[in-house]
Amino acid sequence: MTRLSQFLARNWAVLLLLALWQGWVSLAGLNSIVLPAPWPVLRDVLSHPALYLANAAQTLATAAAGVAIGLALGALVAVAAWASRLLAGMLTPLGLIFSSVPVVALIPILARLLGYDISTVVAIVAVSAFFPTFVFVGAGLKDLPRGADDLFGVLGASRAARLRHLVLPATVPNLMIALRITVPEGVLAAILAEFLMGRSGLGFMFREAASRFAMERALGTSLVVTVAAVLCFSLAHRAERVVRTRWS
Amino acid sequence: MTQATPDAIRLDSVSKSFRLDDGNSVTALEGIDLGLREGEFVAVLGPSGCGKSTVLRLIAGLESASTGEVRIEGRAPSQLAAAHRLGVAFQDHALLPWLSVAQNIALPYRVAGTKVDNARVDALIELVGLTGFRDARPSQLSGGMRQRASIARALVLDPDVLLLDEPFGALDAVTRRHMNVELQRIWSTRTLTTLLVTHSVDEAIFLADRIIVMTGRPGRILREVTVPFPRPRDPSVLRTPEFHAMVDELTLALEPEEAAL
Ligand SMILES: Nc1ncnc2c1ncn2[C@@H]1O[C@H](COP(=O)(O)OP(=O)(O)OP(=O)(O)O)[C@@H](O)[C@H]1O
Ligand SMILES: [Mg+2]
Repeated sequence: MTRLSQFLARNWAVLLLLALWQGWVSLAGLNSIVLPAPWPVLRDVLSHPALYLANAAQTLATAAAGVAIGLALGALVAVAAWASRLLAGMLTPLGLIFSSVPVVALIPILARLLGYDISTVVAIVAVSAFFPTFVFVGAGLKDLPRGADDLFGVLGASRAARLRHLVLPATVPNLMIALRITVPEGVLAAILAEFLMGRSGLGFMFREAASRFAMERALGTSLVVTVAAVLCFSLAHRAERVVRTRWS
Repeated sequence: MTQATPDAIRLDSVSKSFRLDDGNSVTALEGIDLGLREGEFVAVLGPSGCGKSTVLRLIAGLESASTGEVRIEGRAPSQLAAAHRLGVAFQDHALLPWLSVAQNIALPYRVAGTKVDNARVDALIELVGLTGFRDARPSQLSGGMRQRASIARALVLDPDVLLLDEPFGALDAVTRRHMNVELQRIWSTRTLTTLLVTHSVDEAIFLADRIIVMTGRPGRILREVTVPFPRPRDPSVLRTPEFHAMVDELTLALEPEEAAL
């Protein structure tokens, strides 16, 4: 009994949405090509688990690869900017400008440059992860604990020792913020890129289904996308929280 | 004591002013002449804001004098730090929050690029009474425990110059007394030139060879007192009439306004 009420308390908004969806479809008497009811959509997902899983796995792998590359490069360039004032002067304004450009605007350009295949999707995700990482990690490199600068001064720390023992560890919480931001963004960027130019993955699956008016399949894909994005977000959020408590 | 040995640490007519954000500047120190012989223990007393920490930071090479000169063994203070021969316990402990107590204390080894002597780290943890907390992180410690960890860190590389900025400020009287006795024990086993900033007159007299009393605005040296008690000093010294007389004298020196009334 308490289990059920707990479930209701946590998920009432989702259930309400489903009820409204069902109600709207039945009351307005909509054709399933316009908007299928929730149950047929769910049935499509449940009766083709392999298809959905394979495409979801593909999209998540692409997103993970892109985010990993973007995080690594963003952090690396931020450290390079920390080490050299010249680089910092060049890179910081660039990073600030590009981190505010939406991914959608970059997709056609990158596709034109790199060709229409999976590595381009990875590149698009990497670019979307690169700039926020650069900005956050760059800020973290300057956000040192109180007195730490003086401490490393009296310890006679070389610049390399300062980087390794102070500056890099100090930026880890900010790297986790970058992770929290770029993981859901990376999943969305991967799906968007697949939708616009891909040959596989959830984004492509949606476009392909929608183009032949298989609306159960299309909405089923949206459902899986939503669940995957929410899962990724809460995982990244939890990881960030764990690291933050460890670091303070 | 032989007058022939040159001072290990020298401040020659040092002044220090800070530029403030509004463009004005504040004179923190003026006309400071101070020498510490090798192995000497000097305590600095003075009201809050009189420039004690600034003196310590000048010697640590963290600030540079506006006029005058600071020398350690005839060279710039930064050279002592670069040789990893300087130990400092800061007023606000400056422990790294992501490292455990043991890792914080071992940090000077890592920064110097030498092998961590775990036995020594453990011995120091025991010395400052943090056994059982070696794997705790600073956020899990009390203020006084953090200060003790930072003292252990200052001692770990066996420095030649030790600078302590109110290291026992957050300790209760009993722990403070215990730390004083321990510090004296370490200090008696080797030559360690020490500058201790403190607000406790008792502590200064118990530990130091010489006491500097400062006044503020701008910071100057008001007087210097040599502590006559022979070493090693037993805590029973604290109960002698000579000790009490000296405490009274210095306490009075710290309150010149009231003395004039
Ligand atoms: N970085 C700084 N910028 C501006 N003013 C400073 C700076 N550091 C110290 N001062 C000023 O120098 C004076 C002396 O400061 P200092 O920290 O040396 O005092 P203190 O004797 O250590 O005081 P306390 O006992 O409270 O620690 C103060 O008036 C302070 O405002
Ligand atoms: Mg101070």
